[in-house]
Amino acid sequence: MRTSARLALLVAGLVAATAPALAAGEDGELDAVHHTADGYYLDFSPGPKLELPRLFLVRRADGALGFDAFWSSTAAVASGRYAIADHGDEPHSPAAHAVDPLADDTVAEELAEAGGRLTGEELAETSQEEVLGEQTEAEAPYDALLEATGAAAIVVDFSISRHLVFIFLAIGILALLLIPTAGKYRRGIGRTSAPRGLLQNMLETVVIYVRDEIARPNLGEKTDRYLPYLLTVFFFILTCNLLGLVPFGATATANITVTVVLALFTFVVTQFAGTKDYWGHVFNPPGVPLLLKPILIPIEILGLFTKPFALAVRLFANMTAGHLVILNLIGLIFIVGGLNAAAGYVTSVPALFLTLFVYALELLVAFIQAYVFTILSALFIGMATAEHEHDHDHSEDHGLTAHDIAVSASNGQAPHKEHDRTVGTEAVMA
Amino acid sequence: MEPLGLGLLAAGLGAGLCVLGAGLGIGRLAAAALEGSARQPEAAGDIRTTMIIAAALIEGATFFGLIVCILMVVASPGV
Repeated sequence: MRTSARLALLVAGLVAATAPALAAGEDGELDAVHHTADGYYLDFSPGPKLELPRLFLVRRADGALGFDAFWSSTAAVASGRYAIADHGDEPHSPAAHAVDPLADDTVAEELAEAGGRLTGEELAETSQEEVLGEQTEAEAPYDALLEATGAAAIVVDFSISRHLVFIFLAIGILALLLIPTAGKYRRGIGRTSAPRGLLQNMLETVVIYVRDEIARPNLGEKTDRYLPYLLTVFFFILTCNLLGLVPFGATATANITVTVVLALFTFVVTQFAGTKDYWGHVFNPPGVPLLLKPILIPIEILGLFTKPFALAVRLFANMTAGHLVILNLIGLIFIVGGLNAAAGYVTSVPALFLTLFVYALELLVAFIQAYVFTILSALFIGMATAEHEHDHDHSEDHGLTAHDIAVSASNGQAPHKEHDRTVGTEAVMA
Repeated sequence: MEPLGLGLLAAGLGAGLCVLGAGLGIGRLAAAALEGSARQPEAAGDIRTTMIIAAALIEGATFFGLIVCILMVVASPGV
């Protein structure tokens, strides 16, 4: 009885919330891809948007280097020194939206003039409200790349974007959680005695999991050397993924630049970890007929780059896809509501439960993707550091490691091997 | 039918085909992993790890295809 009452309350609240949203949806356009993309603002909708600072290293007209800082994109445009970059080939620019190649040229020119280049003077002429109306129609300055007007040119755009804010937030959260915990271990709590407190117990579970289930099976005795990197990557990706599920949050890992940089770290670590055997396998694959080598060596070299590329794309696509699905399910309400208001209310009920389901799935994916990125990084590093015996029988026992003995001892058993190293399974490649 | 419509149709069909392949692949993988861990429960942990790695790699190849489809839609003029 209580459950059904709660459900009824939920549905009633949902219908109540749909009414203003449907009304708002009539003039505003829901663009799912745009919502997951980066921008120079924090979105507190239905509250206001908070614009973020724009910072430019600029080469001025006289050739001197200068640094310009504005509190907001609107201020940057209003200063007259910056204008919204004209990129007509982009899908979101108004020119691309409306210009049919067959339409007459005057319409295209007008649109290009309105949206492509809003200079400070034009902004000053029109009233603030008109400008805002015009720009949501076209492209708001906080959404766009800016370019310097006149003879000046931007050298580096240091502008703080939404995803960057959430990267800093993730770094801050991790520093707050992990540095005090590391201090406890340094004082001996957790090493000589049991871990103390909720935080340390919680984190130790995760750290031990990463060490024993992700790093150790792939890296063997070299675990301690690469564990700091793997733990950093795991916690950072996990925090970024989870921050995207918080209201008003943004997923920094749904930005291809962020994931490419993370994959680049793995790539660099892998190459520097590479042993003689690793490079031998790339440039002179052993046990391969001479005629096959000209084919195999380029493939191996390509394989060095496809692995981190797949790593970057996988994380990016997974984190973007979940958000897109949720936004499309919500968009469904407005599509149906546009046809018939009553049908819109009816659609909102299944849409809510589907959204809830996808949200729970995203929570799972946030953990899985952090796990997958870390385990694949560990696997790639492990493959590079593995020292093969050159009979190419990878399944042979590498002997007992200190870990096996410790694990066996803690279980009260005779020393035996817990894991075989999965290194050397070259079949598992990107 | 106009060319843009055909292009969008191709993108949609392509995305469906990508997911079809990935679904079949991961399904076979999961079936084999389940069978393996049912036959040998003590190896379930190792099988799960290997399964997740393999699933992630299949998924990676799928995303390459999906991104081509998404780019077809996003990059086409007038969308």
